[in-house]
Amino acid sequence: MRSPFAYTPRPGPLQAALPAAAVTYLGSLVVVAFLYPSPIVLAATGAGLVLAGRLAGARAAVSAALWMGVTLAFFIAAVNALVANRGETVLARLGEWPVLGQVDVTLEAIAEGAVLGLRAAVVLVAFAVYSACVDPDRVLRALRPLAGRSALTATLVSRLVPVAAADAARLRDAARLRGPAAAPVGRAPLARRLLAGSLDRAVDVAATLELRGYSLDAPRTKYRHGRSRHDRRFYATGAAILIAAVAGELLGTGAFHAYPTIAIDSGTATLVFSALLVLSGLAPMRRNPRRAAVPRSAGPSHRGSLPTPEATGA
Amino acid sequence: MPDLAIPTHATHALAIDGLTYSYPHAPEPALRDISLSLTPGEFALLAGLSACGKSTLLRAACGLVPHFHGGEINGRIEVASIDAIAKGPGELAAAVGYVAQDPETQVVSTTVAAEIELPLELRGNSPTSRARAVEEVALALAIPHLLDRAVDTLSGGELQRVALAAALVTRPRLVLLDEPTSQLDPVAGDELIWLLRRLNEEWGVTVLLAEHRLERCLAAADRVIAMATGSIAFDGAPRDFLAWAQGADTALETPAARLFSLSGIGPLPVGVRDARRTLASISAADRGESDPLRTACTFSAGEALPAGNSPPKKLREEGVRLPSNPALDVRDLWVELSRGETPRDVLRGVDLSIQGGERVALMGRNGAGKSTLLRTVGGLLHPVRGRAEAPDGMALLTQNPSDYLIRERVGDELPGEAGLAALRVVGMEHAVDADPRDLSGGERQRLALAIALAGRMEGDELPGLVALDEPTRGMDRARKHDLCELIEELAGRGAGLLVATHDVEFAAGFAQRVVLLGDGVVIADGPASEVLSGGWYFATEVARVLDLPGVITAEQGAATLRTSGEFALSRPIGLQNTNSAEESGD
Repeated sequence: MRSPFAYTPRPGPLQAALPAAAVTYLGSLVVVAFLYPSPIVLAATGAGLVLAGRLAGARAAVSAALWMGVTLAFFIAAVNALVANRGETVLARLGEWPVLGQVDVTLEAIAEGAVLGLRAAVVLVAFAVYSACVDPDRVLRALRPLAGRSALTATLVSRLVPVAAADAARLRDAARLRGPAAAPVGRAPLARRLLAGSLDRAVDVAATLELRGYSLDAPRTKYRHGRSRHDRRFYATGAAILIAAVAGELLGTGAFHAYPTIAIDSGTATLVFSALLVLSGLAPMRRNPRRAAVPRSAGPSHRGSLPTPEATGA
Repeated sequence: MPDLAIPTHATHALAIDGLTYSYPHAPEPALRDISLSLTPGEFALLAGLSACGKSTLLRAACGLVPHFHGGEINGRIEVASIDAIAKGPGELAAAVGYVAQDPETQVVSTTVAAEIELPLELRGNSPTSRARAVEEVALALAIPHLLDRAVDTLSGGELQRVALAAALVTRPRLVLLDEPTSQLDPVAGDELIWLLRRLNEEWGVTVLLAEHRLERCLAAADRVIAMATGSIAFDGAPRDFLAWAQGADTALETPAARLFSLSGIGPLPVGVRDARRTLASISAADRGESDPLRTACTFSAGEALPAGNSPPKKLREEGVRLPSNPALDVRDLWVELSRGETPRDVLRGVDLSIQGGERVALMGRNGAGKSTLLRTVGGLLHPVRGRAEAPDGMALLTQNPSDYLIRERVGDELPGEAGLAALRVVGMEHAVDADPRDLSGGERQRLALAIALAGRMEGDELPGLVALDEPTRGMDRARKHDLCELIEELAGRGAGLLVATHDVEFAAGFAQRVVLLGDGVVIADGPASEVLSGGWYFATEVARVLDLPGVITAEQGAATLRTSGEFALSRPIGLQNTNSAEESGD
């Protein structure tokens, strides 16, 4: 079965854009997630990314990342509630625990953990959208002139990961189909078998690369599907987000303090910035092609015909 | 930078002289004193049993041997006048394309377009020339609709075409293919062979094709090179090859050639058209009837059939009583799988029942739902509706037997008395102390089956159902024959046998009944003699030659010809209308 995070070619602006443009756009949202502790800003960033992912057609990747992110967020919040003893609003006193000492669960510690979890979830969604929408071949192609050997290794790995995943699934199935009297197969022997098989697979993939001419020292040429008409949109959106984020940080917007009591900045600047972040999720939206205006007098028979010299003024 | 230009004056697409090669640490050479040459535009077929050196020869011709595999090599190999031993496979790649058996490991990019374009990009071709080459090769192989697809969403047949496109995009003089149809259904396999023939005729590409299913490609070949234990045992025209195989190794005979040799008709046919022409000309000359074969006796369900379709021998001989419960009971089975982001009904309301002792072939093209049905019965998949039950238990062997082999000693895989009983059933009790990796392909398959059976038997009694998924991948005819015997033996012990296969000749060899799946629905279910003679793609070569209901094997066909056409037996081989047969040359 295909991973929901696997790249799927689609005719969308984000898929067509240069990897650098897509990385600028998605990377700017990740920067915001790391720069701002405010749950309002983080939630807006997440909403923008979810919107972007859905508009780009990466619905399955976004759903899987959200599921993983929410699980992770709950885990982080729970752990933080146990290990952080700061905060004034004590919800439960759990007494003396080994290693942890006195454990008091506070609302502030839960809130801090939830914000950390939210940040992790936002970053996960960003990487999910990147993984499902940015062609890894184009990324490797861009890297190849800069670091040939690293690109070769990355190519091998990027191909071997799905092959190894398929092998692992087959081995698991075979293990389930073993008769009850056959020696049981634990995780370790299965992992050893997978590793040995992967080495064989790696040799085959390396042979294919060799046959394709990877070892040739031919001059690199431009990729034929270079820039797209959507690149500027993503560069501009990414730059705008970064500028707004830095400016907002300098002005002190989006502040959040968990201790000693929870304090969230919900001023106009923060709300406007958050609204901008949500709207930035519209960047991958496909615009309908503009239709040429047809004069009322022109009948249907003119449609699709070449313009006459008179019509063009020639 | 290496010189990537291919000499245009080359008189040979491939020239090998005195080639002997041993893999590192191998006690015996894999290739011994091989000398051969292929002229530009030739279509040559490389035949031979498993492990005879076919793949090693192909790997030597594309430079992987010795550059990639190491080892000791003597002799000379030239590809389009380029010294293959001095140059590496990368430099040879402009002159030679190589397509291996497993398409999974032959793709290195994420999308089809990027995969096809990669060899040109690595050679520094301009974007314009790359765009044109990708477009042209995609059109030639009828895959333009796949260009924007991700490679991991393609079927085996589509992936094999993409690998072929990547090998052809540099317009090499020589294309080497190592059993490219082994994972394809009959439709996709035939399409690939005729695609190669078209490329050979229209582009002048020299083709060297290694294959086990000779009946599929002999008619397309100009020449056959047969190998045995690392040496060339035969090199000549397809018709001469058939005459040679008749004496040297009957495992290399095609079904049509076997039909003719059993019937005493000559010359031996290299394909269906050739065989039909010969038979038509003989019957017209001898009887003056419009189609005397139509009057031949036919085999129908319930009648006693010649070898290959008779009930299990042991059941007949020992009078074993078949269990009253069905071995498999499938009712209104619907299974949904996710392909990409959209779930799809892979099985749609399948009904199927198999009795103990029955041998059933499950056929259909790639993606028809064969493996899904077996995996659902085996409990690996859950149906969204309906049920699939094997009341007396089942053992399922999936496509790759090596997946079952985890430990380094056979006895460690199958400990105890139950393990030994399972080994006895498959005839492997002598190999308790062997390392599974040292076993032959057929023995590994038997061992994997024993692992699936262990503990599911009561004493030496088998579970109700034994299912095999595509068990003949990469097998030569001799090993397929062994497998047919094993299947018959297991059925003789009372187990129902359900075998998913693409190989119609193999199915004709063991099956009493054939179930044909099409797009998740049972589209035919009947006696093998009926289903395998009632179509074109899912019909045996003999059925296609004779076009008689119920006649699917060479033995049945020969019996039919004997009863209906004494004309064929009354003349010496090779004297009937030799000219018309030679003209056909298909």
